[in-house]
Amino acid sequence: MNKSGNQKTVKRFNLGFRISHWVNAAAFFVLYISALPMYTEFFDWLYPVFGGPAGARLVHRIAAVAFMLPLPIMIIFDWKGFSNWAKNIFSWKKHDLQFFPQFIKEFFGMKAKVPKQDFFNAGEKINSWLMIITTIMLICSGLIMWFPQYFPYGIIMWAYPMHSIGLGLAAAVAIGHIYMSLVTAKPSMRGIIKGDVSEEYAKDHHGRWYDELQAAKPKKKKHA
Amino acid sequence: MAETIKLVDVTKCDGCRACMVSCKNWNDLPSEMEDFHGSYQSHEKITANTWNVLTFNEQERKDGGLDWLFRHSSCLHCTEAACEKACPENAISHTEFGSVVVDYDTCVGCGYCVQACSFDAINLATYIDKNGKEFRKAQKCTQCTDRLEEGLQPACATACHTGAIVYGDKDELLSSAEDRLAQIKERYPNANIYNPQGISGTNTVYILADKPTTYGLPENPKVALSQIVWKDYAQPIGKMMLGATTMAVIGSFIATNLNKKNHSSEGDQSHE
Repeated sequence: MNKSGNQKTVKRFNLGFRISHWVNAAAFFVLYISALPMYTEFFDWLYPVFGGPAGARLVHRIAAVAFMLPLPIMIIFDWKGFSNWAKNIFSWKKHDLQFFPQFIKEFFGMKAKVPKQDFFNAGEKINSWLMIITTIMLICSGLIMWFPQYFPYGIIMWAYPMHSIGLGLAAAVAIGHIYMSLVTAKPSMRGIIKGDVSEEYAKDHHGRWYDELQAAKPKKKKHA
Repeated sequence: MAETIKLVDVTKCDGCRACMVSCKNWNDLPSEMEDFHGSYQSHEKITANTWNVLTFNEQERKDGGLDWLFRHSSCLHCTEAACEKACPENAISHTEFGSVVVDYDTCVGCGYCVQACSFDAINLATYIDKNGKEFRKAQKCTQCTDRLEEGLQPACATACHTGAIVYGDKDELLSSAEDRLAQIKERYPNANIYNPQGISGTNTVYILADKPTTYGLPENPKVALSQIVWKDYAQPIGKMMLGATTMAVIGSFIATNLNKKNHSSEGDQSHE
């Protein structure tokens, strides 16, 4: 850690992007915890924590509103970061596909040679897509379950499995995402908390992005 | 124990509504005042505090005459009950009598059962606890399970003075229903026995004078595919996936540490 402290850093995420990320994370966590006692009886002891089922429902609905905010926050406060993200996740090249076999090796601590990656590496791109899909599933089905009076029987009945599938996928993705940020790629945490990462990290983990930064340097000097 | 059912022969009903009163009385349910709906029917539909409603249906006959169709409507106690399958807390279950009951201690008032029921027979009641906080519980006809346990008949069956509601041995009542159907076919050509097989039958069986849809009943209710996807696949697979990802993460943690140790003992500098 002290390595990156003395080192030159590069800007990775603007404030709007980071706020968007953490609102999303906090809302997801609260939603997960407040729904857990209903999802499995093993966690029934969580009901009293929320002051009974009615309290858990209220907390779940408040967090549900917060869960819908990240996208507007990102679009309003960090359009540049948002469009960079959007462009990145649609770009699939050879180096993205080559990422996965190497990633699996690295994930289990073996030596791996990962090809140079974009601003978002292929794993992060997959993570983004799964997150987008599950978020849409969860929000749409959740609104139907919240306001069933406006929807026909057949659609309400499909909202429950949708919510369930969305949760299963989203939670699995979140576990992987959190683990990797905490354990395998620790320096990236600084990027999403403080907004910048060490040049060394950028070079090692997002080589193509680093190259772009270098190419842009003479003209714009570190801004980008 | 021999299986028992409740048989409702709507063609014997004279619309006296004693079943409604006896149900309120035995189950100690509060009265619900409703506005006049433009019909002889007292309440629009079953609610959390009105577990059975006598519906009055006016229908013109082909010959120009009038059929005034009555039906004692309440929970049908489906063999494959959508409410039971929907319940995330396993608060709804079948009793030894084949009746479907809610465990009020386990019920969290989420209302999934209300959405799932294709007969609108289960609803949420709102109560206020001693701290003034509101809470909800699913409520519906229990087929008077508490009376059955004491060897009594359901309150509605006891009150019914025309014998339109009877409770007893399943096989006996079903064969008597067939006999009755043969008797009324001439007057009511569309008459049928309503014991939908798509949900493996119900514990309250009807002899209807007209098509089920005339009485607002689904023609052929089935166990919903959405429920099968939700409860038999999405939930167990979702839980498995959570377990699998957690295991992968733990596996990665251990493997990474083991490999690191090997590397450092070899004097290898790992890049991070």
